[in-house]
Amino acid sequence: MKPWRLWPQRLVSQVTLVLMLAVALEFIGSSILFENSRLYPNRDNQVRRAAEQLVTAEMILEAAPAHERAAQAAVISNRATELSWSALPSLVDPERLAERDLKTRFRDAEPSLRGRDLRLQAETDRALPRDTHLKAALRLRDGSWLTLKTKIRAAPWAVLLSSVGSAFILGLGVIAAAALVLRNLSRPLRALAEAADKVGKGAHVRIAESGARDLKLLAEAFNAMQDRIASLLRARTEALAAVGHDLRTPLARLRLRAGFVKDTDAREALEADVDEMTAMLDSLLAYLGGQEDPEPRRRTDLAAIAMTVVDDAADAERSATYAGLDHLPVQARPVSLKRAISNVVENALHYGGAAALSLTREGDTAVVAVEDNGPGIPEADLAEVLLPFHRLDSARARNTAGLGLGLTIVQQILRREGGVLVLKNRPEGGLRVELRLPAL
Amino acid sequence: MDYSGHGLIAPPRELATAPLAPTVLVVEDDPALRTLLIRLLREEGFQPLSARHGAEMARVLETNTVDLILLDLMLPGSNGFDLCRAIRRDSDVPIVMLSARDDETDRLIGLELGADDYIGKPFSKKELIARIRAILRRTQNGSQSNQPRGHQQMTFAGWSLDPGRRELLSPDGAFVELSGAEFDLLLAFVSAPQRVIGRERLLEMSRARFSDASDRSIDVLVSRLRRKLAVSGQAEALLRTVRGVGYIFTAAVERR
Repeated sequence: MKPWRLWPQRLVSQVTLVLMLAVALEFIGSSILFENSRLYPNRDNQVRRAAEQLVTAEMILEAAPAHERAAQAAVISNRATELSWSALPSLVDPERLAERDLKTRFRDAEPSLRGRDLRLQAETDRALPRDTHLKAALRLRDGSWLTLKTKIRAAPWAVLLSSVGSAFILGLGVIAAAALVLRNLSRPLRALAEAADKVGKGAHVRIAESGARDLKLLAEAFNAMQDRIASLLRARTEALAAVGHDLRTPLARLRLRAGFVKDTDAREALEADVDEMTAMLDSLLAYLGGQEDPEPRRRTDLAAIAMTVVDDAADAERSATYAGLDHLPVQARPVSLKRAISNVVENALHYGGAAALSLTREGDTAVVAVEDNGPGIPEADLAEVLLPFHRLDSARARNTAGLGLGLTIVQQILRREGGVLVLKNRPEGGLRVELRLPAL
Repeated sequence: MDYSGHGLIAPPRELATAPLAPTVLVVEDDPALRTLLIRLLREEGFQPLSARHGAEMARVLETNTVDLILLDLMLPGSNGFDLCRAIRRDSDVPIVMLSARDDETDRLIGLELGADDYIGKPFSKKELIARIRAILRRTQNGSQSNQPRGHQQMTFAGWSLDPGRRELLSPDGAFVELSGAEFDLLLAFVSAPQRVIGRERLLEMSRARFSDASDRSIDVLVSRLRRKLAVSGQAEALLRTVRGVGYIFTAAVERR
């Protein structure tokens, strides 16, 4: 957006300018309204004009011969006022208060009507009660009658409202217009707020660097900050991952060396230590690499993965069972998915001593549920166990393998596949962990 | 003794006791790990050779007959994948890749390039020796016709099996995860379709890969395989039990 030259660059100036324009608009608008209101004739004027017309018509008809008068009257009639001539009076003077008042006003308007036989009748319009049908009959000098029919219109609403109402409405309009313009001006601010919210949730959002100069500076600073944070995180992650990979070679040496230890107990303890370190490294690398996993998503049989995980545990003589569907295709990364299911089963075996895995389909959702008979998780901690490096038994003696990344990784993997992780304490005791994924 | 890594040929001390000891070439840049591997292999009755990088490997291969190569993926100068491809251009020598990246993508690339196995670091002595023995058994028994290499895909009853990538796809195209032993068992069946195969033979074939497999019986493996291959009642027919003898794989197998 290229603002034109007179448009100020700073937000404060822009707001000031908009307010000034609004005030000016209001001023001009109300002036025009008041000017206009004078153009509308009020009731008095209309009555005066009717009286004038009556007198003028009398003069014309008096000058014409009797047999031409009716035709003449028709000629001088117009759309608003109908004139007619007849030998007999067309109306009886009702002499009500309204007519008496009208008659006075007629005579005030045309003093020549004083002392003449003038009959008036005023009737309120049925459809528009503010309008009045006026009939006026004047006896000419030869005793015939001239009749005038016209309508006295009520003043238009704009005139009635002109003093307060129009100013009010105009004010509202101007305020609305100014609000719209200001809303537009503050759009970049709202975009920034939304972006900041998303960035807080881990997304990378590039916001448009547009708008007032100070807002533009803010957007630029925001984008630059994001880039710096992202590159900082990337550098740290890469460093940590590199260390993780590099540690594997010394671990491989250690493991092989353990094979040469003659003392069986010592050898097994050494091997168990290496296994634990390997497991920690694996989970750390899975956690760090989770964001940009190169594994492609593909149609995958969830049932086969779940069965493999359970069979592996059963082969290690641990109590794991599988029940449910023989096949259930999902769109996912099979290796990640296997890691997720395996983490949950490992947790169940570790904390609950047994893992009962079931696979069901609930509509469009594939549900892998793993139940154990352990102590469950206190309701207050249910959300916390998903945080990285959180360990349920941290207060107790440290006897768990891993870094406390297990469920964090599961959640990370499920999110990437469009699924969710649900933890529930079973009413009969133990924990139920559900991995819910969109089924194909 | 020269364990520093410069010696191309480790002293053939046990030549007298094992005249037919298979020669294993270790290509590994980490000196300590190389030394350990050589010591381990010698103790297990192999004849180890070593190389620090690709160029040295090429020199060793020029002057020696090698039965198997242990190839580290991360070497100075050249990448293990390139070396693997280079070896495959003119040799069928079995290759076992060693990698510090226990990464499924790397594993697949390695196997596709013609590696026979892929072991993530750290690995145990037992695991390494078992895999080396399994591969040597496979190649030296001349049973290569049974265990086709490369990318020859096999299809049966809508399923397709890719021995190169070690992948099974269901009739609706879904990837079906199989354990190593299950895959080898299926491969054994598919390699000898519509023929009765005895339990002992199957056990031998499916344990070729992981000889440290637990005492799970072949029947358990078959029942797991049946369940994974189950498609509305078809599974029983695919793997039929021949009472007292073994099993028969009933479907016709097409190779592509």
